[in-house]
Amino acid sequence: MANLQNKIKEFFGKILNVIKTFFWNVRRFFINIKKRIGDFLDKHNINFVSNFPNWAKALLYLSPALIVLAVFTFWPIINAFALVVYENYNMTTETVTGYTIFGNFITVLTDESFIVPASHTGSSAVINTLIIVFISVPISVLLALFISAALNSIKPLKSFFQTIYFLPYVTNTIAIGLVFAYMFRTDGGLVNQFLSLFGVNVDGLSWVESGAVYWRSMFVLIFYSIWSTLAFKIMVFLSSIQSIDKQYYQAAAIDATSRNRIFTKITIPLISPMIFYILVTSVIGAFKIYNSIVALFGVSGAPAGVDYNLQSIVMYIYQFIDGSNAGNLSVAAAGSLILFAIILVLTLVQMQVSKKRVHY
Amino acid sequence: MNKQLFEKSNKVERYTLFIDFLAIAAYITLFLVLFKMLLLPDVIDGSMDLDNLQFMEPTYQFLGRTLYKEGINTIISLTIAFMLIGIPMFFINLKKVKNRTIYEVDSYVAGSKFFQGIINLLSFNPISCGLRIYNMFILVKFVKGYNAKEFFKSIWPAVKAYFKKLFTKKAKESTGGLDEYSVSIKKSIRRQSVTTVLRMLFTYIFLVFMAFIIIIPFYWMIITSLKDFSGATSATPEFFINISRMNWVNYKVVLTELNFGLYIRNTVIVALFSTAGTVLTTVLAAYAFARIEFRGRELLFSILIMTMMIPGELYIITNFITVSKNGFGWVGMPSGENNYFVAMIIPFVTSISYIFFLRQSFKQVPESLYKAARVDGCSDFKFLMRIMVPIASPTIFTITILNVFSSWNAYIWPRIITGVGGQEGQAYWLISNALRDTAFVLDNGRVMYNLQIAASTLVTVPLLIVFFMFRKYIMNGIGRSGTKG
Repeated sequence: MANLQNKIKEFFGKILNVIKTFFWNVRRFFINIKKRIGDFLDKHNINFVSNFPNWAKALLYLSPALIVLAVFTFWPIINAFALVVYENYNMTTETVTGYTIFGNFITVLTDESFIVPASHTGSSAVINTLIIVFISVPISVLLALFISAALNSIKPLKSFFQTIYFLPYVTNTIAIGLVFAYMFRTDGGLVNQFLSLFGVNVDGLSWVESGAVYWRSMFVLIFYSIWSTLAFKIMVFLSSIQSIDKQYYQAAAIDATSRNRIFTKITIPLISPMIFYILVTSVIGAFKIYNSIVALFGVSGAPAGVDYNLQSIVMYIYQFIDGSNAGNLSVAAAGSLILFAIILVLTLVQMQVSKKRVHY
Repeated sequence: MNKQLFEKSNKVERYTLFIDFLAIAAYITLFLVLFKMLLLPDVIDGSMDLDNLQFMEPTYQFLGRTLYKEGINTIISLTIAFMLIGIPMFFINLKKVKNRTIYEVDSYVAGSKFFQGIINLLSFNPISCGLRIYNMFILVKFVKGYNAKEFFKSIWPAVKAYFKKLFTKKAKESTGGLDEYSVSIKKSIRRQSVTTVLRMLFTYIFLVFMAFIIIIPFYWMIITSLKDFSGATSATPEFFINISRMNWVNYKVVLTELNFGLYIRNTVIVALFSTAGTVLTTVLAAYAFARIEFRGRELLFSILIMTMMIPGELYIITNFITVSKNGFGWVGMPSGENNYFVAMIIPFVTSISYIFFLRQSFKQVPESLYKAARVDGCSDFKFLMRIMVPIASPTIFTITILNVFSSWNAYIWPRIITGVGGQEGQAYWLISNALRDTAFVLDNGRVMYNLQIAASTLVTVPLLIVFFMFRKYIMNGIGRSGTKG
């Protein structure tokens, strides 16, 4: 019996061996052919595979990204300058009535909802955006600095708090914006409930609904933008505080330096490049605010039944793509070029300052 | 070190995990069956009678019993709670059982087994509980060498000794009758420790307060999504709701009647394809920028970096022309000839910032490795696939997750693309624009806040789940990308 089993095993092993050798031979055959062709080409100096120039190789690797970038990134930049000189450009028929150099810029700059507010609106896109930038950015940067310093000084529960503070980064702006609008409701909103605990008369105190005063709805918007941008700043500050050399703190501890002094004389100066980086990026981000406004106030950019508007520069631009003034893309291009100019100036300032990298 | 006992404990742990897995599968099936059973209001004139949603008193037949609204809500809430506890516990234990070495086992491990067993018991899983407690006895024997009987005997003396130690320590501190100098030093030490404690207290109060502000919208969102209409719009909203009054039917209405199932499917399609494209193109491009030397590399790269400053609105204007009728003709065509998915995916299959991010981590691979591979006859592509991608895989993974997040949150481009199509485009909405543009208003003018917030929760919860699964990658990625800036 055992003999038979062994024989069967041997038989199958032989068959397997034959198949294996066959495939190995086939493989060796092809490798041989490849090698011979390569040798032949090398001998006659026409082997373009081994002489493949680096630029061609690079082109091969870059082409998928570059084709997409060329169509959807470089072409729009060029085309924006073309669009700006058209007068009354019509998208569907691709016709223009004439050409102008500054006409579209003048249209944007003199628009009563862009810079200088009309008497009946009370606010304009640039004023709204500047208010958001100059209030939300300093507050959120300071708050993020304090929180990350506090996080760095504790040990238990540190990663727990870190996780919680990171949550707003991974949420959908529109979804949480709707929740904020719900929390700031007039009747039975969570915030009004909270205020009524302190004896505030919340009857008809509206934040985002009809009848809200400008500063109240602006407060909600700024609060939401701080809430949603805090996570990234805390993360960056915390990682840069943790990368500071511990020797500085040990030296300060030997000299019995007070906590405040350590914070202002060691921590802040050493992470100053990062603070500046965050400051500039968040100013740029605040200039581009759009989703939060849409989430809180809808596409119109204002609570129902009020005479002001909370639209930002980006919202002003988008209204020419889809909105009340849809179709006039030249004006939109002019507006976005103005926004680009603002961002360019801010970035150049950042580059100049970060080049020096003065710590002390 | 008794190796046999350790292996026995691991074996028991594996059996426990298997039982846990069965229990989780049971919870999930139970949840799905019950969720499918939930009755929706009747359809009148082609649309659901949502007005009637909170007044319905449906009865369900389940396992031969008659369940009312409260009963089925309670069971669904419990299964979800069990899943929330059970699934993370399962994966954490799975990871531990794979990686644990004999040196890491101490009495804390045995204690944690006991607590996990109690949790198992609370989630109606007595078999896992029994196995875990059995495992605890094995571990106790492994660590201390006690039998079960000896172990029970040893508990009371240990507790007594602990409290004794606590009190004697205090007594020692109070008796400090030394000379003046050391008394003054002791006083200053005490003063310092008091200020330290106060400072820590203030730090924690500050952190807890800020964490509260961060967490409250999430809590309020989840609570509101489970209320009925009158609960969501009442003038004095409740902060806690009983599990029997959690209206899980809200989610069913949002998924079916308000079409959020379709919108989530659309978003997943767009996110998958654009992420796959992004990873492919960025890996290839980043490799070219990091390793291949060609003329004009730095120039090309700095041009790419410069375009990062340009605001997205500038692109969107022209891209809209490009994809519409006079360009590629993906949208804005007569109905039936539109290609909304292509228009939403193709512009986002590459990203300059990710190329930049990935190039940084490719550059950290030493040049000598590349040279050695070249000497051994490894081609560039093989080197990229066999060495670069595995080394940089955490970065690539971070890029994948961040890209999925950004396509999940995309709002303005899908809105413009689907807005052109009118009624037809509405079937291609992604979740963000569906959230904003779906009218949660009934014919009689009532705003269904609970359904709106339930839709928000449906959009937020997947993100949170992915975040908690890959927390380390995401948070490290953000920290590093910020630092490199």
